[in-house]
Amino acid sequence: MNKIALVILPLTFLLFSNQTIAQDEISTQRKEAIDSLALEKVRDLSRYISIIGNKSTPFSEGNRVIDRAVELFAEGSEIGVSSLYKKAIQYFAVRRYFERLMALNYDQVKIQWYDIQYISDLELQPDGRYVGVITIFQRFEGVTKDGLKYKDTTKKDITIYVEKKTIQIMGKDVEFWDVLLGDIRVKETLP
Amino acid sequence: MRRAYSNHHIKPLVFLILIFSGSGLYAQWMSDYLGDEYVLYAETKQVNQFFRRFNAEELPNGKRLYPKDSLYHKKALRNEYLEMVFDQQSIDIRKDLKSQFLGEMLSATEQTYLDFHGGDWFAEVLTTFTYKGKEEKMLLFLSLEKAKIGSKWVFSGIYFEPFRKIFRQDSTPPSPPFIHPLSHELDFMNLMKVFRNGGKLEAYTSKSYEPDYLTLFLYEIKKKNLTFRSVDRVSFHFLQLDGWYFELSEVTREGPNRGWLITQLSQVPPGQKDRLLNFIYRR
Repeated sequence: MNKIALVILPLTFLLFSNQTIAQDEISTQRKEAIDSLALEKVRDLSRYISIIGNKSTPFSEGNRVIDRAVELFAEGSEIGVSSLYKKAIQYFAVRRYFERLMALNYDQVKIQWYDIQYISDLELQPDGRYVGVITIFQRFEGVTKDGLKYKDTTKKDITIYVEKKTIQIMGKDVEFWDVLLGDIRVKETLP
Repeated sequence: MRRAYSNHHIKPLVFLILIFSGSGLYAQWMSDYLGDEYVLYAETKQVNQFFRRFNAEELPNGKRLYPKDSLYHKKALRNEYLEMVFDQQSIDIRKDLKSQFLGEMLSATEQTYLDFHGGDWFAEVLTTFTYKGKEEKMLLFLSLEKAKIGSKWVFSGIYFEPFRKIFRQDSTPPSPPFIHPLSHELDFMNLMKVFRNGGKLEAYTSKSYEPDYLTLFLYEIKKKNLTFRSVDRVSFHFLQLDGWYFELSEVTREGPNRGWLITQLSQVPPGQKDRLLNFIYRR
C-alpha cells in the first residue's frame, strides 16, 4: 500500500481541525474538495491504464504499475465490461482486468482520454461511508502485427467511496476524508 | 414510422456547453486530450445527471448548482434541460402530452421537481440466471429504501416466467376442487386425496392468497437451484410526479440526444396508479 500517497493527498485537500463533524453532513466546500481528491485518484488510474496498455512498457514496470493501480481500489472491487454487440457483462477482479490489458494481443496500442468527467452527488450508505460515481470516456486503438485495427470508445463509470478517517500527527488526532475507488462499469459507447 | 431526428432543442444547450466547458474548472485533464467533446457533454451520462438536469441543478459543464446560486432551478435553463432529457426519437411519446407535461413542470405558479429520496420511482433490471441448468431471463425490481444510516437499493419484486408457470391459473375449471366443510369431523382424512391427486393446489387456498415470488426466488437461490449470470438492461419507472408516469432508459446512438432519457410518458388518472404498478410488475 502506498501509505505516503494515502496520507499526504488527503491531508493536502481535506484536513480539518479536530472538531466533531457529523458523518452525515458534507458541506458544499468539502464536497468540492472531495471531488478534487476523487478526480486526482481517477487521473492516477487513467495514467496507470495508459502505461499498462502501452506496448513499450517493460513487463516488470507494467507489473509495478498494476500494483500501484490496485492500491487505488477498495478490496473486492470488480470491473464489469460489455460491448455494443455483447450486452451481457463480463466481471473481472481489478488485478485480472489490468493483467488482461497488459497481455492484449496488439502490436501497438493507443489509449486516449476525453477531456470530460462527470461527478455525481455523494450519497450516504448504511455502513456510514459516502458513495459517488465519476464518469469518464476513453478511446482505445489497437493494431495487430498484420495491420488489423481495432478501436472503441468506452464509458467508464467509476465508484468512489469516501470515508472519514483519523491519523495521529505529533500526538494529536487529526481527521481527514479518504477516497478509494470501487467497482467500475465499462461500457462501449458510440463516438 | 420513426420521426426524423431533430436537434432543434439541443442546439442552445450545446452552445451553453461550449461556453461553460471552456470556463476551466475541469479543463485541466490528462495530457492526451481528444477534442470535439460536446456530444459527450450533451449526453445525460448518469441517472444522477438526469435528476440534476430535470431540476436545473447543474451547469452544462456538469458543475453542481446549489440553492445559493442564481441559476439554481432557473426556468430558462430548466426549459432547455427538460427538452434535452427526452428521447427525441421515441415513438411512444405523444407530442401534445409532452407539451402538457412540460407546461406543468414549468408552471409559473409552482414548478415541479424530482427528488432522489422522494420515493415513487424504482428500477427494473433485466437479468440472466441459470435455473435448473438452463439460462433464463428474469426481471428484478429494486426500490431505494431509507436505512438507519443513509439509503440502499432493495429487492421489491421479481418476474420470472418459470415461477409464473407453476402458479398460472388456467381458465377456471367448471368445478374447482375443494375440501368440503365437514372435513374436520373426519380428521381431514380427505387431505390424502388432495395431495395424492396433486394438480392445482392453489384451488385449496384462501381467496386472498397470492404467490410470493420474491420468497420463492430467495429460496431457490439458497437451495442453489438458481444462479445469477448477468445484468442485461436497466430502466427506471417514475410515478413521483402527481398524475404522471415516465420511463427512463439508457439510449445509445450517435448525436447529442443520448444517455439516460425519458422514453415513455403517460398520464395517470386518479385511482389508476395501482393498476399501472400491477402492469409494470407483471402481477
